[in-house]
Amino acid sequence: MAGPESHAAMLKAEFPSLVQIEGGGGGFSRFLVQKESLPAVAQYLHHHQKWQSRLALLWAVDDRPMREGASLHYLFALDNVRQWVVLSIELEGDDRLFPSITPHIHAAQWYEREIRDMFGLIPVGHPDLRRLVRHEHWPKGTHPLQKGFPWNEVLGRQQGNYRFLHIEGEGVFEVPVGPIHAGIIEPGHFRFSVAGEPIMQLELRHFWKHRGVEKLFEQRTLTDAVPLAERISGDTTVGHSLAYCQAVETLIGLEVPRRGRFLRSLFLELERLHNHVGDVGAICNDTAYSLPHAHCGRLKEQVMQLNDRLTGSRFLRGVNRVGGVTVDLTPNQLTEIPKELDRLEQDFSELESIIAANSSLIDRLETTGVLTTRTARDHAVVGVVGRASGLDYDLRRDRPFAAYGELAVKVAMYHYGDVRARMRVRMDEIHESIRLVKQLCATMPTGPIAAEPRLNSRLPKTPKAGEWALSAVEGWRGEILYMVMAGENETIHRCKVRDPSFVNWPAIQWAVVGNIIPDFPLINKSFNLSYAGNDL
Amino acid sequence: MFRIIKKSLKTGVVTGRYPQSAAPHESIDPAAAEKAKPFRRSLVIREVDTGSCNACEMEMNALMNPVYDAERFGIRIAASPRHADALVVTGPVTINMERALKDVYKQTPDPKLVIALGDCAINCGMFKGSYAVTGPVDRHVPVDVRIPGCPPRPADILKVLTELCGKHDRH
Repeated sequence: MAGPESHAAMLKAEFPSLVQIEGGGGGFSRFLVQKESLPAVAQYLHHHQKWQSRLALLWAVDDRPMREGASLHYLFALDNVRQWVVLSIELEGDDRLFPSITPHIHAAQWYEREIRDMFGLIPVGHPDLRRLVRHEHWPKGTHPLQKGFPWNEVLGRQQGNYRFLHIEGEGVFEVPVGPIHAGIIEPGHFRFSVAGEPIMQLELRHFWKHRGVEKLFEQRTLTDAVPLAERISGDTTVGHSLAYCQAVETLIGLEVPRRGRFLRSLFLELERLHNHVGDVGAICNDTAYSLPHAHCGRLKEQVMQLNDRLTGSRFLRGVNRVGGVTVDLTPNQLTEIPKELDRLEQDFSELESIIAANSSLIDRLETTGVLTTRTARDHAVVGVVGRASGLDYDLRRDRPFAAYGELAVKVAMYHYGDVRARMRVRMDEIHESIRLVKQLCATMPTGPIAAEPRLNSRLPKTPKAGEWALSAVEGWRGEILYMVMAGENETIHRCKVRDPSFVNWPAIQWAVVGNIIPDFPLINKSFNLSYAGNDL
Repeated sequence: MFRIIKKSLKTGVVTGRYPQSAAPHESIDPAAAEKAKPFRRSLVIREVDTGSCNACEMEMNALMNPVYDAERFGIRIAASPRHADALVVTGPVTINMERALKDVYKQTPDPKLVIALGDCAINCGMFKGSYAVTGPVDRHVPVDVRIPGCPPRPADILKVLTELCGKHDRH
């Protein structure tokens, strides 16, 4: 088995000019790369058979005032050896060009376009340089994450238009959908090109809900930004706040007590539970089979009312804080939860057998919206969608956080990549979550629930400006990544948020090809991605 | 078939199994109540998200589940603003959604109600002041009813909506 030294050694042997650097918390090795040699190093790291590596995150930082210039950081997850590698390049002064890796590593496509929009840095060689986050009416030259850009000055408007990709030919027509589209759903625009019934091409146009979250983080201090993280994507309240808290805890060197970690895992599993139960019902509903939807709606409500009774919030808002959790559970509650979940599991199992016995439903789900393993890997897809397409990757097992180091998590895996596989991953995870919650309740340690982050209103360790940490959490949708960089006096210099939706959205464009438009809502529901978490 | 019937019988009626709204009683603005008169017994809603975190959407969805079952009060969700009596708007209005919101407002036939749902729609909440947020909903379209909360509980939403329909949420 290859250890952490070996990939570092292999990289250095292949590229002698690499400089390994210390710094950055969160368990990874980091290399400073010359700008010119970046594509070669990234390709070597990404394509090497030994590692099964994927581009997990790509982010830029405007380093002013610490250093004149910007820097870019590429996080590769080496899934075979369960290691992380960060490659960093630094741009000097007014240099705004960086080499694009998209021609060789497809997963970088949205990241590089996002960086161009938010920082005004240009990925040289990127095949598609249209605007992504900045819609056509944003004035020229507005790049909100540049340090000189005022956070609170509302943008003006200009005239402009967006070029969609067109397929031309006899009988080909386009169907525009959104931003405001059917049902109670978030806004997004979908442009279908169809010839007859089957979809030939789908182009997404998102970022309608861009609220400037990453810039808002920079106006807050390290310890008071948790409520903002909770509101990035409301359905993933615990996932996002936990990822944020972990990054800050690494940065300031704070150890969360064992009971705090157990409670965090418990709340994260409850969140997974109510979302997955709701999704199973919603998938059935999109085939017009409304009976499971009604039952699942009832079961989901049951879990959310349980959340409410335990913490005072149906979405588990305010349970995480830097250093631990704010809500403790009484011994009485710890015996009540497993009983309630036992009843729920019994109820859900009966429903599962009703769903499985409906052949017309299964016929509709099978072979619909297939995302092949190859496409999933090229897009570095994560979470439920990835596990349904044969990507065996779950942070709870691979990079344990909170209490998962002490739990054996069984990862649900399917290979077909169709709607049914995604539904079955959810069903399996519902049972696994119930099992984990019961185990957590049974083995809940005693002790404090949070470490005190403020002794005489000082952090245990005040991070130097420019220090940063990474953190990863397996939310119910998949891998949530946070990069938090400290500024002067406990402020936040930069906070990069990556919801799993950001990497999974582009993949949906490939999963729908060849399907008919009436199946699109079903496929979309089986992915169930967040618009808010994607748009930020 | 037998399995489905058995399950339904075993489950029974779950409607109304939720804690009563504890939100302080605020009577609806008389002007809004007057405007809502044509919609008594039947209120068709189009939900518009202009930048929320999607928690408000989840609670609106919960209203339609068998536990809250808003349809028993004649409250329904429309897929198009042209079929709607009322717009429920969530979230601060982002620069990218501003035009869409104004369009939707124009497309909704008169008479119509606009309901601002959640703190963000009322005062931009956490996102106040951001370069990408152009203000609360009432800066762009006239708002008749406000339902505060982050997010408001389904019972709180139902209480206001039933009041608009001239009914009371008693269970």
